[in-house]
Amino acid sequence: MDLDLTAEQRSFRDEVRAFIQHRLPSEIRERLRAGHPPRKQDTVTWQRILNERGWAAPHWPKAYGGADLGQMERLILMDEMFRAPAPLPQMFNVVMLGPVLLKFGTPEQLNHFMPQLANLDVWFCQGFSEPGSGSDLASLRTSARREGESYIVNGQKIWTTTAHVADWVFALVRTSNEARKQEGISFLLIDLMTPGITIRPIFSIDGEHHLNEVFFDDVRVPVANLVGEENRGWDCAKYLLVNERTGIANVGLCRERLVHARELANRHSQAGKPLIEDAKLRAELATLEAEVRALEITNWRFLLTESEQRRLPAFASVLKLKGVELQQEINALLARIVGPSGLERRPSTDVEVGPITPRYFYSRAASIYGGTSEVQKDIVAKAIVG
Amino acid sequence: MNFELNEDQSALADSLTRLLADRYRFEKRRALVASGAPHDPQTWAALAQLGITALPLPEAHHGFGGGARDLLPVMHALGRALSLEPYLSCVVLAATAVRLGTDEAMKNRLLPGIARGESMLAFAHDEAEGRHAPFWIETRAKRQGERWVLSGAKSPVLGLGTAQHVVVTARVSGDPADADGCALFVIDRIAPGVTNREFRLVDDTAAGELRLDAAAAEPLADPTDSARTRAAIEGTLNAGVAAACADMWGATQAAFDLAMDYLRTRKQFGRPIGENQALRHRAAEMLVSLEMVRSMAMAAAVAADNVEGEDSRLDLHRAKISVARNARSVAHGAIQLHGGIGMTEEYAVGHSLRRIHVMDQLFGDADAHAARLAATNA
Repeated sequence: MDLDLTAEQRSFRDEVRAFIQHRLPSEIRERLRAGHPPRKQDTVTWQRILNERGWAAPHWPKAYGGADLGQMERLILMDEMFRAPAPLPQMFNVVMLGPVLLKFGTPEQLNHFMPQLANLDVWFCQGFSEPGSGSDLASLRTSARREGESYIVNGQKIWTTTAHVADWVFALVRTSNEARKQEGISFLLIDLMTPGITIRPIFSIDGEHHLNEVFFDDVRVPVANLVGEENRGWDCAKYLLVNERTGIANVGLCRERLVHARELANRHSQAGKPLIEDAKLRAELATLEAEVRALEITNWRFLLTESEQRRLPAFASVLKLKGVELQQEINALLARIVGPSGLERRPSTDVEVGPITPRYFYSRAASIYGGTSEVQKDIVAKAIVG
Repeated sequence: MNFELNEDQSALADSLTRLLADRYRFEKRRALVASGAPHDPQTWAALAQLGITALPLPEAHHGFGGGARDLLPVMHALGRALSLEPYLSCVVLAATAVRLGTDEAMKNRLLPGIARGESMLAFAHDEAEGRHAPFWIETRAKRQGERWVLSGAKSPVLGLGTAQHVVVTARVSGDPADADGCALFVIDRIAPGVTNREFRLVDDTAAGELRLDAAAAEPLADPTDSARTRAAIEGTLNAGVAAACADMWGATQAAFDLAMDYLRTRKQFGRPIGENQALRHRAAEMLVSLEMVRSMAMAAAVAADNVEGEDSRLDLHRAKISVARNARSVAHGAIQLHGGIGMTEEYAVGHSLRRIHVMDQLFGDADAHAARLAATNA
């Protein structure tokens, strides 16, 4: 039993750290440290720099621009990005769609899309949720009717993060109502420039525009954009949802926010005394730090040890539940640290205080997206109670 | 990075678990407590036979030279069985203090008997006034001609009543809070000037208060070498933190397992209570906490084995914080899921909470370690 990185892993970490230090534009770093989400151009700029090294999609095979990295190296890479902080590679492209195409895509789809996904020449978003289908995803109703070499898509998606800046959407659509609801779903790639698509913003409780509604009105999609078999799109969705576990705990994010919390607690003072001298706040920071460490070790334990995965197949839900809980606690603590100075609505260019309070509001989404905490608990309970 | 037990560790853990499943069935444990005996001598003999009393002792003194990682599965099994054996007090604490704090001759006098399961030592360090301070020593050591005498009070001293000798920390110079100016002594527990008040802790573990009034004591090393004493005390407390975390992991696991069984078997309104979502969600939250406990019990063991490691000092604090909090939360949940039966002394689940509370309070509780971790980070 040991918690040490190997010599190779340590030197990989140093290499990544030096690379980020050298290549990450400082204005992106400052914006992220202040608490802003990366702008589209930040993510594009940084992902292209990473892509030169094969680190934009590090777990993809080298043939498609990846680096064939193992689990520990991927974790190191991700931790270092959070630590900087640097934007993570665009998740929908790299973490979700890429692996689905590798598993289910046609050679044409692979050749066409993979290089563009890695280099962020196209920006994909995810069209899964619908107004009537949240946690019960398979009840979705957006339909695709086959007409010659096209599907005609009608319906509505919601909570579509980044749709307003995206070029394409990968969407689950209903192609059959005959059998079980899971068996009539197909996985389509849809160009958002296609006539008949309307995107409307949804402003979230942080006052920002991350989310959208996407309407499809007789949208014509070539059959060549079907991924996998018709009516077997649920296989792709399941693969996408359970396949990706490397980032599910978000340990690096928690740690970066805690570092920032400590920094802000040193910077802010109350009645002439730095906040960090408050014993209660110090203990709270220390306790959160201990819990983040517990999550980190749990994350390593499950991601790196097959016997642990076999012992507890629901481990991904454990990681998400704890990760979300800590992210939300840390964001709430940050908002208390900036206190009254965080009440003023500030422009998105401000890096002095940053959007600490709005970000706390938006952190409530973490227990809703990607499978609500209640759904995760159902999964865990099934495993341990039966 | 590696999170698995090696073959020796797994084999030993399996043997110990089998032994305890037999000798420490909950009913037997209750009978043992009711008998007034501080522990079960037959179990202790069996532990010696398995080599478990020799596990962390140096090889030069009839031990196996094991570290905190070897003790992890042992303490886990002892915690899971809610064992009352004076293993922590004797084999972990006192033997570690001896291993780190004295010369070969003294080790040879004190350790082989422990390895063979024939003699017992206790470690008397905590003083009531110090609460969770790692170094609060008012007990005074004075030189009288050729000999040393100790005066003061130590409490709680785990396993006091079963020990023939006690390793005592005492102050040679300075104020109670000074980390320097202390020395380690060994005393005969039954001797002039020594008063024992034996009691049980709230988890039924045998302990006691040791009162010393000019009691004769033998220094374990040069009493003026306070750097060495300090390192020995720190090393002993680190071993204690790791062992307490592993013990809490075991007690947490026991409470969790009982609760999951209960959810599957207890029926109300004509169906197993485990079909109710509110209870299922509580169970899921308990599993998350149990996994955190497991991770940090491992981290504490790794850290105690290499205190010079990059994260070790921090990890010992973090582990005591996270294990205590999460273990307590699982125990609370397990009692709640049982309802009334969980509140009874004749049912096992509540005893996990009692155990966890005691282990949290030993070697600095979660709040104390949070304050120390904060001081380290500031």
